[in-house]
Amino acid sequence: MELTFGDAASKIIGSTGFSSLTLGHMVMILVACVLLYLAIWKKFEPLLLLPIGFGCLLANLPHSMMMNTDTGGLLNFFYQGVKHEILPPLIFMGVGALTDFGPLLANPSTLLLGAAAQIGVYTTLVGAVYLGFDLKEASAIGIIGGADGPTSIFIASKLAPHLLAPIAVAAYSYMSLVPLIQPPIMRWLTTPEERKIKMEQLKPISQTVKIIFPVVVTIVCCLMLPGVTPLLGMLLLGNLFRESGVTARLHETSETHLINIVTIMLALAVGSSMTAESFLKLETIKIIVLGLLAFCMATAGGVIFAKILCKLSGGKVNPLIGSAGVSAVPMAARVSQKVGAEEDRSNFLLMHAMGPNVAGVIGSAVAAGVFISLFGEVGGGADHAEVVTEAISNIVSLP
Amino acid sequence: MSSLVNTSLIVSCIAMTVIFIVLTILIYTIKILVNLIPYEEPPVPKAKAKPASPTGGGPSPTMVAAITAAMATHLGKSPQEFHITQIDPK
Repeated sequence: MELTFGDAASKIIGSTGFSSLTLGHMVMILVACVLLYLAIWKKFEPLLLLPIGFGCLLANLPHSMMMNTDTGGLLNFFYQGVKHEILPPLIFMGVGALTDFGPLLANPSTLLLGAAAQIGVYTTLVGAVYLGFDLKEASAIGIIGGADGPTSIFIASKLAPHLLAPIAVAAYSYMSLVPLIQPPIMRWLTTPEERKIKMEQLKPISQTVKIIFPVVVTIVCCLMLPGVTPLLGMLLLGNLFRESGVTARLHETSETHLINIVTIMLALAVGSSMTAESFLKLETIKIIVLGLLAFCMATAGGVIFAKILCKLSGGKVNPLIGSAGVSAVPMAARVSQKVGAEEDRSNFLLMHAMGPNVAGVIGSAVAAGVFISLFGEVGGGADHAEVVTEAISNIVSLP
Repeated sequence: MSSLVNTSLIVSCIAMTVIFIVLTILIYTIKILVNLIPYEEPPVPKAKAKPASPTGGGPSPTMVAAITAAMATHLGKSPQEFHITQIDPK
């Protein structure tokens, strides 16, 4: 094959990414840089926003084959883990291995705060429908109010995969902003006297109860809402690794290496879905606004319900722990502690707030289960099985 | 649009009810479990014979370190800012 200097030069220039760079790519590269800036310099959820930002950067470099839709590309393989609901449950296993349900078991009434905080999910659902989204899309957007990244991704990939990128970015961005979003709402809804309430010390819990708890919750919740079994089942399996005391290696792997590896894959996969076509839309702005509404309403719902519990218990419950019902473990509990300590330095709310905080994880998973029961395909179905089989055969037939 | 908003309101009410029912069941399950299996203090290990203090019966370095840390927290000072010279065992 003969090539003149001009042909070779034009061929090389034509093969570079610059030749195909569009305005959309450039905007998305800018968005990726903003995410990297927020992660590295502002320390907003860096473990997630950094790989999401970098995944977005890679996906928007033309000819890089790094978009989630580029069959055979590296991030397309990672994306299969999101599409087929593999990675979010594995993250939940790590979360379960990291979580101590002791404060929740010592004060089970705090489960109600985890339920009350889900009001954010449903007010956002109504808001999203009002703004023109259909019920499946609105459900996926509403779950941002659960303040649980893996649950948001799980539901988005199941009910509205085309909205996965903006939903994941909104969920993780607002989770990182919990220390900024929650305190003004908490102060606005409570009086200084309520914020000074000191709660009784939590009673210790038998190790046997801690072991039986994950098994019982799995049976009860997964029988009532089978659609949530992948998430809740893995969460409670991770917790059983922790509490059983006989699987130290599995526990250690789940809470360290596994969750770290899966986080990298999940975040890169989400980043790879942030293409100009899927992200630069009016819907993205609507989702960002609705996400903020979801967080605010969830916080308010938790605090208001905690105020009701405070009244019913004769002033034994500090309403500030209600805001921790929005999941976002353990950041939301730390916010309760911080706002309480601002009023009275000797008031330690952290362990009391951990109860509603872990209840929020269960509550948001249950909320997700309700959506799957209403709008999803419980049990997978033949179509789902075919898609999975096709994906596996594609991977197996690779050279 | 308005029918869809109505549907979403109904979905929200049903979903919140389901969440409260599920979590209330869990609350009572936990309460039953905690009542059936109460917490028991772990058996206290038998105290080992303490080795003789190198300072001839005075407080051990571990005890001095613990008291220093507690004093530092109480006084709001750094442990380097003061020095314990004598401990009255009374």
